Amino acid sequence: MQNNSNLNELLNPRSIAVIGATNTPGRVGRIIFEQLLRFKGPVYPVNIREKEILGRKSYEHVEVLPETVDLAVIAIKAESAVRIAHDCARKGIPKLIIVAGGFSESGEKGRALEDWLVSIIQNSNTRILGPNTLGLFLPHNQLDTIFVDHGDKALAGGGGVAFISQSGSVGTEALGLASNTGFGLRAFVGLGNKCDLDELDFLSWFGQDPETTCLAFYIESLSQGRKFLEKARQTSLIKPVVVLKAGRSEAGADAVSSHTGRLAGSDRVVGGAFRQYGVQRVFDDEELCDAAKTLSGLPPAQGNRVAILTPAGGYGVMGADHVEMTRGGIRLEMARLSNKTQEQIYKTSFSFASCRNPVDLTASANDRMIGDALSAIIDDDGVDIVICTAFFSPPSITDGLVESIASRVRDSQKPVIVFTQYGPFTDSYLRQFHREGIVGFPSIGRAVRAARFLVERAGILQSIRA
Amino acid sequence: MDRKTTIPIDSFLVPGYPDEFETKLLLSKWGIPVPRGMRFLPGEKFDPKKFIYPVVVKVCSAHILHKTDQGGVVMGVESSRIKEVLNDFENKFPGTPTLVEEQIHFRGPELIVGALVDHSFGTAVMVGAGGVLTELYKDVAFRLAPLTFQEAGRMLRELTVSPAFFGYRGLKCDPDSLSRIISATADFAVGIGERFSQLDINPLVFSGDRWIALDAKLVLNHG
Repeated sequence: MQNNSNLNELLNPRSIAVIGATNTPGRVGRIIFEQLLRFKGPVYPVNIREKEILGRKSYEHVEVLPETVDLAVIAIKAESAVRIAHDCARKGIPKLIIVAGGFSESGEKGRALEDWLVSIIQNSNTRILGPNTLGLFLPHNQLDTIFVDHGDKALAGGGGVAFISQSGSVGTEALGLASNTGFGLRAFVGLGNKCDLDELDFLSWFGQDPETTCLAFYIESLSQGRKFLEKARQTSLIKPVVVLKAGRSEAGADAVSSHTGRLAGSDRVVGGAFRQYGVQRVFDDEELCDAAKTLSGLPPAQGNRVAILTPAGGYGVMGADHVEMTRGGIRLEMARLSNKTQEQIYKTSFSFASCRNPVDLTASANDRMIGDALSAIIDDDGVDIVICTAFFSPPSITDGLVESIASRVRDSQKPVIVFTQYGPFTDSYLRQFHREGIVGFPSIGRAVRAARFLVERAGILQSIRA
Repeated sequence: MDRKTTIPIDSFLVPGYPDEFETKLLLSKWGIPVPRGMRFLPGEKFDPKKFIYPVVVKVCSAHILHKTDQGGVVMGVESSRIKEVLNDFENKFPGTPTLVEEQIHFRGPELIVGALVDHSFGTAVMVGAGGVLTELYKDVAFRLAPLTFQEAGRMLRELTVSPAFFGYRGLKCDPDSLSRIISATADFAVGIGERFSQLDINPLVFSGDRWIALDAKLVLNHG
């Protein structure tokens, strides 16, 4: 595995060939080609049997393409894919995506096929993403090879998260999940079997990419553990690195003749190593998406004091309970609001409002009161993070609440996390908030967890800079 | 006690199956305090006047696991009983060396400090609540080796037992010298090189003004 490769030809190619493009509806080659028609550069279909595909001239073979493309997407079955990869390497095509499964993940025969594939690109300048991968989705240049549904409508706006997944389906399901509540995607990369390019290549690349604000990984096996961690530490100085490491490693399996070996079990070394190297660890796809959304959209917290603003006392109490729990070694505490702040809240709302943290404006609150109280809390020096509840059911609350909150949050240097109501309208409100640049979640627990990510991030910056 | 009577072992000439005595000798070369002690080979002449009593008598072999469970550790042995205890050991563990050590008094928690080699990440170091129940508590923190003194300090703060290092109920079990021991343990594991497999220092306790390794077990790779 070489490092420092130029991934521009993969992620921002000038031209693309789709091998296995076809007119036959429902075929993978057809879906990928159709999606790539939106790509701004030339996209050439290659198919030995079809003369024209979706109105474009089709080429019999990569040899006869009018130019040497930067990227070939190979969407045919495993054995033929290896032969075509050989042709592509000979032709000097620098980047290949091999979609087909049937390689090392499927037993001995597939393993041999993958070894052959690797041998083809040895001593060439050609690099492979895959095999057994969904490929790429980059909203900003409409480069999309994912042939299954992937929450694209809500993600089309783009953003700063580079999402790198070893599993295709975890990746696409997570994108769907992320798109429910709004998510700013810079790039999705499906690593597949990682026969050549692996997580380290993409960590290096997106770590340097100025448009990427956060890296999120779903990884089952780390190909180069130490190197990945060392690169992650460098990267975490400039942007957050979040990793969901699934699958218990075999660490300690043969280290059972000591307490240390048995205590390491399979997982504790990973946890410690991640902390040491500035990697934020998560345990499921929802948490991965929440962390990426939060960390790409909000600054690190300057401290751990949380204020909660709500029109419903119960959620204030629950929120405070969540704040007081220590999770993953990260402590939050409920902020003590200054007298001045409490007075301002009192003046803007009602005599029966509770102006101490958690601040309960009651169900009589209106859009302006929530906005004004939010401003007062943001301005309080004793507050590091604000959780603002946005419920749309109280009678005096209108859809204008989104703007009322957004206008106060926009100029804030402090992180503000919105928690909105449950129910059928939740996702739509969360997407509205997302479009306004506001990070929101559909449960109080997830909102408090988001606060924890920000405190963890601040701690990482502190320990790595020290 | 006379340290010069101990068998010298060069830190680079680590025996294949180091016993507790040899392991402690190695640890002390890396700056990790251990009790003063002497190892007696079977049949070796024993001079009871060389010790300050009471002492701890332990069976000393890399091949005996759970020596406490097998009656291989006797604490608080006074000069009047030492010959009797050594005779007992010779009957119970024929042909096996014996370790006689000064008895260490301590307050505060028993800790475990260890190291192992992880498949993905290489050598890692651990600290946590130790003693015989260590695997029940599971109050441990890991890091990769080598590590800085500051990073070792962050490991301590992750532990449930952490307040014991910072003044809980009058305990003043120095966190800084403990951090240095963790970092020395990491250096030790890396220093042994490719042959290193696993190390347990358990318990490590705070006595007087220092942390001291009361028991230690080093496992090496073979082949």
